[in-house]
Amino acid sequence: MSDRLDDLERRIDELRAGVRTAMRARDTATARTLRAELRTAERTWDTLVSGDGPATEHGPPAGNVPEESGQGAPRRARAHGAAARRGDGPRLVTVREQVHQALALLDAPAQARLIVAVSQAFFAGSIRSPQLTSLRRDEERSFRSSPYGRPYYLCAALTDRLSPARGLLTVSTWPAERRVVGPLSPRVDFLTCALRVARHLGGLPGSLPDGDRLLARMARNIPGAGDDAFGPPDPGRVVEAARRELRVHTRRDTRDRAQLAKRATSQLDDVAALFGAATLSTVAKESSTMRGGR
Amino acid sequence: MSLLTSLARLRALDEGIAQPIATVRHCHVSARPMVFIPLKLSGEAAAPLAAMLGTDRDEPRLLVVPQPRNRDLRFAWAAELAGVLVPYIETFLASTETVARKNADPYERAVDAPQLVLPNRAGVAFTRLLGRSTRFRSLDGPYPVPMGVPLLGRWLTYFAERAAYPGSSLTLCATDELGRHWASGQSALEDANLAALVSWITEGPNDDAEDPLIWPPAGPATDPGFDAEVLAPAIESESAERVTEALRTQLAPTWRLMWRALDLLRGLREGAGVAQRWEQDRASFSGMAAQVTEGGPPQARRDGAIAAAARLARMERAQAAYDVQRAYDDPLIMAEYRLTGEAFAGEVVENDPDNTEGEGRSRKLRPLVVIKTDDPVRLAPGTALGTPERRGQGAQLVSARDGLVTIKITKGMGRAKTPAPGSVPEVGERVCYTSLTDDFQGSPALPDPEATPWTHGGPPQTYVPTDEDAQEEWS
Amino acid sequence: MNRLDALRGTTPQKPHDARAIAALAANPGCSRRALMDGAGIDKDAAARHLGFPAPFGQSPFAITRGNAFEALVKADGCAELLRMLRDLLGLPIAEVAYHDVENVGAHLRHTHTRTLIDRAVRQEDAGTVYDHPLFTLDIAGHTAYLEPDVVAFQLGGRFHIVEIKSFAVIDGQADPAAVAAAARQAAVYVLALRGLLAELGHDPLRVSHEVVLVCPENFANRPVATLVDVRRELAVLRRQLTRMTTLDRLLDGLPDDLTFDLLPGEDGLPTRPVAELADAVRGAAARYAPDCLSTCDLCFFCRDEARQEGASDLLGRHVRDELGGVASVGEVLGLADGTRDAAAGQEEIARLLRNAERLRRECLT
Repeated sequence: MSDRLDDLERRIDELRAGVRTAMRARDTATARTLRAELRTAERTWDTLVSGDGPATEHGPPAGNVPEESGQGAPRRARAHGAAARRGDGPRLVTVREQVHQALALLDAPAQARLIVAVSQAFFAGSIRSPQLTSLRRDEERSFRSSPYGRPYYLCAALTDRLSPARGLLTVSTWPAERRVVGPLSPRVDFLTCALRVARHLGGLPGSLPDGDRLLARMARNIPGAGDDAFGPPDPGRVVEAARRELRVHTRRDTRDRAQLAKRATSQLDDVAALFGAATLSTVAKESSTMRGGR
Repeated sequence: MSLLTSLARLRALDEGIAQPIATVRHCHVSARPMVFIPLKLSGEAAAPLAAMLGTDRDEPRLLVVPQPRNRDLRFAWAAELAGVLVPYIETFLASTETVARKNADPYERAVDAPQLVLPNRAGVAFTRLLGRSTRFRSLDGPYPVPMGVPLLGRWLTYFAERAAYPGSSLTLCATDELGRHWASGQSALEDANLAALVSWITEGPNDDAEDPLIWPPAGPATDPGFDAEVLAPAIESESAERVTEALRTQLAPTWRLMWRALDLLRGLREGAGVAQRWEQDRASFSGMAAQVTEGGPPQARRDGAIAAAARLARMERAQAAYDVQRAYDDPLIMAEYRLTGEAFAGEVVENDPDNTEGEGRSRKLRPLVVIKTDDPVRLAPGTALGTPERRGQGAQLVSARDGLVTIKITKGMGRAKTPAPGSVPEVGERVCYTSLTDDFQGSPALPDPEATPWTHGGPPQTYVPTDEDAQEEWS
Repeated sequence: MNRLDALRGTTPQKPHDARAIAALAANPGCSRRALMDGAGIDKDAAARHLGFPAPFGQSPFAITRGNAFEALVKADGCAELLRMLRDLLGLPIAEVAYHDVENVGAHLRHTHTRTLIDRAVRQEDAGTVYDHPLFTLDIAGHTAYLEPDVVAFQLGGRFHIVEIKSFAVIDGQADPAAVAAAARQAAVYVLALRGLLAELGHDPLRVSHEVVLVCPENFANRPVATLVDVRRELAVLRRQLTRMTTLDRLLDGLPDDLTFDLLPGEDGLPTRPVAELADAVRGAAARYAPDCLSTCDLCFFCRDEARQEGASDLLGRHVRDELGGVASVGEVLGLADGTRDAAAGQEEIARLLRNAERLRRECLT
């Protein structure tokens, strides 16, 4: 057994070196082949070293394993086990329900990052940002196959071109004015979210460390909402400060949104009114220009 | 870089092997150095990934953060590091000697001191950041860290600061020390690669040194290819053993190189001034240890105006003293001054040991010596001179013409009517004189910190670490 | 056909990004680099084909960290950024309008950027922060598209470029090399936005030479903003771009049939015989310096060439200056050994070298 392990380790080292050499020469085809061999070798090594004998049933059936974003490569047995340990097994509340819960609390279009934070802080949520990337597309597909078949849909916020806004989620049951975004809306929505989080936190008995931390992060970016002092922010003060800044922007934002909502209702069909005017394919098109790196 | 060193680099290039630019070793090498090779996570300021360290070349300790983005694991790693470094440091506190001082109480000085050896300057810089990110932590409160972490931070900060102090050997940077003693046939930039530099010194240039698959970088940054192809999958696998083994492959080659570098340095005879500078290091170390014991606060984030000026002045004096000492200790360093005309060497062709000046009670012994030299002397008559051969003596240049230099010995002759045997260079002896001397102007007159002018921010407030310091995220 | 296009031949043009443009100024004396960049040659591909792949690479950890930090700064309508701009520049509370230019398809983004910027200058629309605008810059007759992962914002009618970098500022200090690189890159965006304003008939100086550099502070993820004056970088960049439009003099010195064409096959991989390409590249004189090792894809090829020529450039500028500009290793050592006579003008350095050689021998034997 240990001889086999030694051989395998040698083989794994060789393969790793081979992959890196190929990558340095930008020879992606060779690298891909070698990587596949490497994974096989690593899987075998894992199986041997954990003393489970030949690889048979290992970890939960593939169907139960939450899908990871992006990585096309098969995940290895050990990782399956790890995922199961994290408690991602059967969920009582689905991803879309958790997102809906968070959005209902926030009551304004929000980015995945904020939705996840709210869900974690107040609903013991287990969602992670990558799980939200495909959500909107799934919702759209569902809506197209049986319109209004569900009590609500998670959909896109619409830009001033009535196209879906990058990264902003809304709920279909909200009025159109809330589901569109003008130039001032991101700020107004941020302040609204902060206000809602503060109110929610203020209404809870006892303290909630995750909630305090979230509110502190938001309060930092609102003038007068909290000194830079450590310690939990005062929800009342955050509400007050958010309201104060909201008064500066509300009139113009409300006007912009009303106009946009009117355009959306008159120009868009049901699908586009919820999910945006541009087709999915144009949105997905990636730019061919180079990005400035960092 | 001097012309002499440039010439040595060209010679190295031509001969395919590094050339000596020193004849003695100018740093102290401890009998029990702590070799310390830290690695950090790419893209982060001070997120530790691993370190290989230890005082025994056959027993490296490998400390790894199996999930580098996990704050708790980072601090657990720092605690482990403290568990190795702090006891090492403290072993040197057991044995001390009492040192008497003029106008001050005697103090206890450690008879030996710890020595941290890092691969390169980036490693020293990372050590400084590790120190900065751990010394303000507190053991309780909302973001508690394990015991030993704040203390580790103070020591790492101290060692990083000493690395910048001219002539100090408490922290050695391997590439710098090797580069001070050998000239390779590559650029200074390429000398920062430890594998390449050691290869130049031992067997000649080798492009393998630049191949991360053969010689992984000596840290703290890891090879991007390694990150992508080995480390990322290992971290994702959540297997601590796999991460550990992956990082071992990156550290083990450097570990061997570090001991090779120490061997190379140990192979040189120690310069005469090294022991004296190490004594200053021991005093500094004892002072730091006393501060820690007495419960002093951690080093401030930044110096106040006066402290900064005083530090700068101290460093400048140390640099000047270090330069002079090395020249006195090492004819090859002195040669640089001979090349520029600030020193000369040659054979004594004539002397007048009994020459005197003045009359009666003020009559003084002022022996004259004539030296024949091939060096281009660019010193004016009257220039004060010193000599490595008779360090207690001072001399003065009388004249220099046609390769013949006349000097007059003005200091260190004693009160006798005739010179003590051996105190005046004999005809036929080889001697060297230089205008470099290590009697420097005293420290600049700086006000006390309490009297810092408002233009420089006023008197500094005593540094009290705040909760904010302790709670700073380490993300 | 344009002579530069001929140099590139059938190889697709490599678009310049801001970092590449900023790097143009790194070694202005190098004709090889000026010509290859001017012609839009993919130097990385050329170096690989020549058997001297560039030693650069970015760790996936660094990329992830960079993206996460940028997302943090821009989250919730740039809430963090607005806080910093209010603190740093006194941006009024009412100035919060946010435009995500990336909401339009890639092919429309430059036009959309133009429209938005024009409307902002004419004060027809609220416009404070522009996320992911797309600028253009003319490089030796070719249009380079620049997509700053940066935001331009305006205050009191003046635009500022915001550059988001994930290297840390610790106790008020950051890695000077990283700051310098960020400043050079930001200068490219300043120049591009000034060009856009000029095209639209507005005053280009509405774009400030002070850029806002956003970095994480200390060891937390909390962003902090600093103003950086990029006038010097702008001047260097302008000079280098002007130089690139006047490549004629360099081109005149080249053989007529010289080309850097990689002759890509159907799979895009180069098919040109390596020796032939190497000869062609050597046809344009390089000026290798050790600094190239961190800035130019061709560095290993040029270093190898310098080694074969025994050039003292290998050792760096300091050494070369110290040697009074004597370029070849053999020549220097010959002068030092006395086996070679000093040419006119070399008397002084020859005397120094002979002296240095004598002293080294004396001390080492």
